[in-house]
Order: sequence, then structure tokens, then C-alpha cells
Amino acid sequence: MGNTLEQVDTHEPGFALHVEDLTVTYGATPVLWDIDMDIPPGVMAAVIGPNGAGKSTLLKAVLGLLKPVAGHIRFLGRPLSEMRQAIAYSPQRQSVDWDFPTTAGDVVEMGLYGELGWFKRPNREHRARALAALQEVGMEAFAERQISELSGGQQQRVFIARALVQNTPIIILDEPTAGVDVTTENIILELMKRLRDRGKTLIVVHHDLTNVQAHFDWLVMLNVQVVAQGPLNEIFTEENLRATYGRRLSP
Amino acid sequence: MITASIILTGVLASASAALLGTFLVLRGSAMMSDAISHSIVLGIILVWLVTRQVSGPIPILGAALAGVLTVLLTQWLAQSQLVRMDAAIGLVFPALFAAGVLLIALYAREVHIHTDTILLGEIGFVWLNTVPLAGWEIPLSIITLSLVLIANLLFVGIFWHSLKLATFDPALAAALGLFPSTLYYALMTLTSVTAVAAFDAVGAILFVAFVIVPPATAYLLTRRLWLMVCLAIGLSTAACVSGYALAVYWNVSIAGMMASMTGVWFAATLLLAPQQGLLAQLLRRRKARLEHDCRVMLAHLLTHQNTAQVDEENTQAALTQHLNWPQPHANAVIKRALEQALIEKNGNLLRLKPAGETAARELFARR
Amino acid sequence: MSFLQDLLGSQIVQLVVLGAALLGAMSGILGSFAVLRQQSLLGDTLSHAALPGVCIGYLIAGERQLSLLLPGALVTGTLAALSVMLITKRTRLKTDAALGIALSVFFAIGTVLLTLIQAQGSVGSAGLSSFLFGQAAAITKGDISLMIGTGTLLLGVVLLFWKEFKLVSFDPASAQVLGLPVLALEGALTLIVAIAVVLGLQLVGVILMVALLIAPAAAARQWTRSLSSMVMLAGLLGAVAGAGGALVSATGRGLATGPVVVLIITGIVLISLLIAPQRGILWQARARRRLTKRLPAVTVPHDAKRRKFPIRGVKRG
Repeated sequence: MGNTLEQVDTHEPGFALHVEDLTVTYGATPVLWDIDMDIPPGVMAAVIGPNGAGKSTLLKAVLGLLKPVAGHIRFLGRPLSEMRQAIAYSPQRQSVDWDFPTTAGDVVEMGLYGELGWFKRPNREHRARALAALQEVGMEAFAERQISELSGGQQQRVFIARALVQNTPIIILDEPTAGVDVTTENIILELMKRLRDRGKTLIVVHHDLTNVQAHFDWLVMLNVQVVAQGPLNEIFTEENLRATYGRRLSP
Repeated sequence: MITASIILTGVLASASAALLGTFLVLRGSAMMSDAISHSIVLGIILVWLVTRQVSGPIPILGAALAGVLTVLLTQWLAQSQLVRMDAAIGLVFPALFAAGVLLIALYAREVHIHTDTILLGEIGFVWLNTVPLAGWEIPLSIITLSLVLIANLLFVGIFWHSLKLATFDPALAAALGLFPSTLYYALMTLTSVTAVAAFDAVGAILFVAFVIVPPATAYLLTRRLWLMVCLAIGLSTAACVSGYALAVYWNVSIAGMMASMTGVWFAATLLLAPQQGLLAQLLRRRKARLEHDCRVMLAHLLTHQNTAQVDEENTQAALTQHLNWPQPHANAVIKRALEQALIEKNGNLLRLKPAGETAARELFARR
Repeated sequence: MSFLQDLLGSQIVQLVVLGAALLGAMSGILGSFAVLRQQSLLGDTLSHAALPGVCIGYLIAGERQLSLLLPGALVTGTLAALSVMLITKRTRLKTDAALGIALSVFFAIGTVLLTLIQAQGSVGSAGLSSFLFGQAAAITKGDISLMIGTGTLLLGVVLLFWKEFKLVSFDPASAQVLGLPVLALEGALTLIVAIAVVLGLQLVGVILMVALLIAPAAAARQWTRSLSSMVMLAGLLGAVAGAGGALVSATGRGLATGPVVVLIITGIVLISLLIAPQRGILWQARARRRLTKRLPAVTVPHDAKRRKFPIRGVKRG
């Protein structure tokens, strides 16, 4: 922390994700402004902030899904192009068409398409890995179920299973608990904690302030700029929340 | 006289289209106009089979009903959630169009309903079909299109606020008791009527150009609704006049050239629009980048200004080597900082001026 | 039966039936991806945008020569697709407006070029008419071999990149994070649809080509539960509608092939929407009735309300 701009050129291999000077604009409006962010390995980090704070944009820019005006991104000290096999990403649930003709098992298998490479078909071993990932999220009974027949929470768990099957050290999730009931949310959060305890780094856009404290151990508070970041118990203060959410935070 | 009647026909048709098109483009229903303009073929032939009329109010009404039927069927299909909206449009209008084409082939060969006339129109011949009015021989399409334009103007004028709200926030409009779906169907009915009235002048497909392209062009130029409507009408009028002149000059299709001109306006606007044009976006992006890197440089200079490596670090060479900037970019950044009096150049050495130092310290204070 | 034998005995009818079946199969298979990517109307834009290309090809070649007309159509179709992409990515305009702009402006330029050709005196308005509605009877053996060749090639591409196309159609963002060249794959999917459109133009014409891309896929989706079965069924339904339409129109009475094919495939879609098991409208209505009979007092569980097909969800869960 407190790094100077002198480190633009260094790699920061000590951090799971290291972001420097990230700026993203949409038209003339800045969506993200001068983001500096470090997330150490092995934490379960929540990115929180009000609507329009640029939370999803931050994930997308970090993953190269949109082009920033400026910025340096490093995963474990290396650029994204070298680290694709080390990162799993699950987008917001609404970003895909759940009426697509496919099964839960198939969706999880899609996580393996990157490591499969061109012209190769998934085989029995890949299928087994997909089923194991589904089992881990408690969805093994639904492997052959059409994805349109799953509830919102089940769809979220399928997406998490798809991230799991890639067996990567870094997992990035965009609102994995959006639109699910409390029970499912707890299942998903417990699952993420288990992954963290296995040494994985989780970077999660989270919207529910009521349970941030109970589940996460690292926090990035975002509102176009980074308002505060660090270990949750140091950062999660009313003052910081007020600075992040402005007047929108009801007392 | 002929020239005037052709241009006037084009202007009336395109202004009516642009007026309604503004709301269709804003609502995201632009392609419905394409669907409607094809389906009216079925309406026209059905009316002919029953009444043996190809022109006059009844065929217009019949064709308009076919347009509304298209909208209804599409909505129903999309609401079943079995197919998406875009697929629903693409399922309904080709089917209705195919039925129309077959009916013409089976029962109406002898009438002069040529499907390609419906689709392309013959604006060059509007002056052939005239009616006497107050001692003048007025082309029939001018009378029809004037009435349609008046109807459209009245509709938009009377329901301006409701249309505005229903377009931007249908849920709120419904909550306020404004019946956004009724308004939507009224809009679609008028679009159908306009399409029928315009089809023998400009044809169905070029009608689509007038509905979509001028409002879309205006949308790139302004965010205000009334201005967008005025611009759309102005642009389509300009397209009609210039299109006619070019068509006569090159001896090509008049309606085709008018519609092509709307495309020319759009392309020029897409490229050059002051706020949203591609060029403006490029310049803005470059400027944002420059400003950003300018601050990075200030911070860099501040970090090193009182250290031993100052002679090595605070030079242009260090910017290119340590910050990985290409030479021209480093030059541009330095030039910008010099212009804003943030730094001064002393031989090879770059030094912060008071303003630059304040700016750089603010950067660090914020972290 | 002998009437049918007579029909099939005619070589022209054989060619048209074969051509229409091939086209139906091809557009069914390729259209599936367009429909799933919610780009159904891209085919509409592509086919209208082919007109200026056909005209330019004609102006260059000076006669109706497929070898120049088709590439011309492909070039302007691709340009139109690129404009749509540029407009949607770089402005606030929505996809439907972008599609409409490209469609109408390219078509308008086409009509202008067409009058240039007509001024040269070689073709009448028949040229446009055949472009709009196709000229199934003018099909030649060479056209058929071209369709077989291109069709096999496109099928090969689809099979070769099957899993990539599947992932890009379902979840392009994740595909990109996994390292797939999403832009190239999406471009390839658009290009193969453009090729199918261009091949179909002379058979069924501009407007009805849209239906041939969308309808088989929309019908097949109702019956199937996986992408592979959907694509295969769409190909089959497209082929059946194509061959059936060609046969019906060959019975005479001046029925053009294109509209008949479209009405047949639309009929297939309607039947599928109504009776397809589990998804169909009648099926859902019956399930709803049964449910209300069986569970008169039970309110729908909270969780089920969120589902797309609530009744089925409740029944199973």
C-alpha cells in the first residue's frame, strides 16, 4: 500500500491482483478514475459501492473485456495474456440467455474449453470433472437439467461450478448472489469461503452490505474512485461507508 | 410544377415518417417499421379482393390493419417467451408478406399491384394521378400525404408529454394512468397508415429509411426530444431536395437517391457529430489519456525532485524508458504540461513549477 | 402418385427441389446460431444489403454472371454487418436502429445503382423483381454444385469450431476471458450467415430469406434440449420446408417457390409453438389446468415465481 507511482514498471508478484492508474471513460463521463488496487493472495475480497460506482466495469476492465483509457493490470505479477489459465470468471447471471438449449452439466463443461484448445472435444474425463464441480455446489442432481428450468439461485451455482471446474488460483465473480434468496446466498457464500480456505483468491462484486462483514476478509470500496481498501475489519467503518455511498446510505 | 410536386411528395412522406420514427427509434422498435411496411402488402391485396379498390381511404385502412396485425402477432409471440422479440418480428412479417405475394399471384394478376412497385414506389409519376381542387390539379398523393402528416402532427402534438414519458419510462407512464400500450398501438397504427400512404410514392423499403435514418441521425446530434424531432424533419427534407437534384443529374431512381441521402447525412454525422461522433470520441479519448499521463508525469517528477537520481529520472529519456511511453507520446505529454505551465524545461531536466507541484501533491494526498 | 412421379421426372423440378432442400438445410443450421445470439434480423439486413453488391457485380461483369454477382453481394453484405457493429458499439443507438439504418441505406443505394443498370438498357425491372423474390426456375446444375460445395465447406467450419461457436453464442464475455478470439468467432458466424443469404437470394429472394434463417431454428428450439439436436432438427425442418415448397410450387398455377416455402415453414413453427412437449403453448396450458385442479388451495411457492416456466417448475420440484 501507499505505493508511489514509481512502481508503474514493477510487477508486484506478491499480489493476486495489482491494478495501477486504471481509468475507464464512457463518452466524456469517467466510469473509473485512477484506480489503484492491490488484492493479496488467499483472501475473499468484496468490491462494494453504490449503483453506477463502476464495480462490474472494474472487473471487466481488469479482465480485458473493455479497453481502459490507461492502466496497468498484473495478476500474480504477470500480465493477463500470460495468466488466462490462472483466472476463472463468472459474469452477472443476467448477462446470458438462460433459454439457451443446453444442460447444467454442459455449461460447467464450457469452463474447460479454454484449456482444451482448438479442435478438441471434451471427453469422459472432462465430463467427470464437470460433475465433480457440480457436486461441490450441491447441484449434481441437476447435471442433465435444462438451464431454463433452474431457479435463479441454481443458475448462480451452475456458474460458480463453471468457475470451479477450471481449478484456478484466482476466481472473479460478478454479483454471484444477486437475485437469490437468503438460504441460497448463504450456501454460495459458504462455498466461496471453503474455496478461500483452500488458498484461492476470490474477488467478488457484492451488493448486500448486511452480510459483508460476516463473510469477507478484504474490502474494496468503490465509487468511481477507490474510496478505501484493505482488510475488512480495518476498513469497514461508517465513515468509509458514508464516503462511498454518499447520501444514499440511509442511517 | 412536376419538380415541385415530386419534391413536395417526398418531403411530406419523409416528414410524416421522421415524426413517428423518432419515437420508434427511441423505443427500440425501429425494425417494427420494416415489418409493417412489408405486411401491408397483405392488407392491400385483401382489401382489393373484397372491394376491388386499390386506392382511397378503404385500402389505406385495410393495409393499416395489416400493419397493426403484424404488431399484435409479434407482441403475442414475444410474450409467449418461446422466441425472442427479434425472432418474433422475423417470423411474422415474412409470413404475412409471403401470403400477400401468393394471393396477388393467384387472384390479382390482372390488377396493377406489382409487388416491386409496393416495395419501391414510383415517386416520378405522382403528378400523373391528379384531382381538381379549388381550380388546381393537385396530385392525389400530395393530398393523401398532407392529411397523413396533419394526423401525425396532431397525434404527436396532443400526446407529446404522454409519448415522451411512455417512451422513456413505460412503467411510470402506466402507473400514472397514461396507458403506454394504447399509445404504442396508436403510434403503430399511424406508422402503418403513413407506410400505406407513402408506399406508392417512395415504396415500402425506402419508407423504412425515412422512418429510421433521420431520427437516428438527429439522436446523435442532440439529447433533447423536441430538437430531435425538428432535426429529423429538417434532415429528411434536405435529403429529399438534394436527393431529387442528384437523381435528375445522374438520371437514377428519385426515391432511391432521396433515401441514400439520408444515409449520407447519417454517415457524416456518425463521423463528425460534435459530441458523439467517432472523431470527437477519438479526440476525447486521446485527451483523457494525455491528461491522465500528464498527472502520472507530475507525480513521477515530484517523487524524484529532491533525490539523488533527479538528473537521471526527471528527464524525457526516463519517461520513455521507465514509464514505457513511446517517444511521441512522451513529447505530447511534456508539451501539454509546458502549455499549462505545470513544468518547465531546463536543458534535459524537467522541473515542476509551483502549479505542477500543487497538482502532484494533491494526487498523493488523495491516495 | 403418378402425378408426383411426373413432377419428379422433370429435371427442372428435380433441380429446384434439391436446391430448395439444400438451402433450407443450410439456412436452418446457420440460422440457429443467429437466433440464439439474438441476431435474427441480421439476416434481413444482410439480404437487403446484398442488392448494391449484386448491382456493382453486374456493372463490372456487364452481364448476369454468378461468379461476380455473388462476391459483390457478399462484400456489401459484410460491409453492412460491419456498419451495424460499428454503430452499436460506438453510439447510443440500439441494435434495431443500427440494423434498420444499414438495411434501408444499403438497399436505397442498391436501387440507385439498379436504375443506372436499367439506363444501360440491358435488363428491365425483372432484374429487381428476381432479386426481391428469387427465380427458382432459373436454377442450374452449376448452382446446385456451388451450393453443395459451399454448404459442405460451411458445415465443416461449424463442426470444426463447434464448441467455440457454442460458447461464444451462449456467453461471449466468459469466452473472451478463457482466451478465445471472440471478435473473430463472431465475425465468422456473421460471415457464414452472409454466405448462406447470398446463395439463397436467387432461389427465394431477399425478403423471404429472412424467414428461412429464423423459422427452422425457432421451430427446432421448441422440440430440443441441446444445441446439437436443435441445429440438426433446424437443418432437417429447413430441408423439408424447402423441398415441400418447391414441389407445391411446381404443381403450377404460378406459385412462386419462395412464398410457398415460407408459408410451409411458418406452419411448422406454429405447430411447434403450440404442441411441442413441455414448452408448447397447449402443453403449458394443460399443465396449468392440471395444477389448478390438483392443488386448489396451495399458493405458488415463492421460488417458483421467478422461474421462466413456473408451472413446469412446480410440477417437477
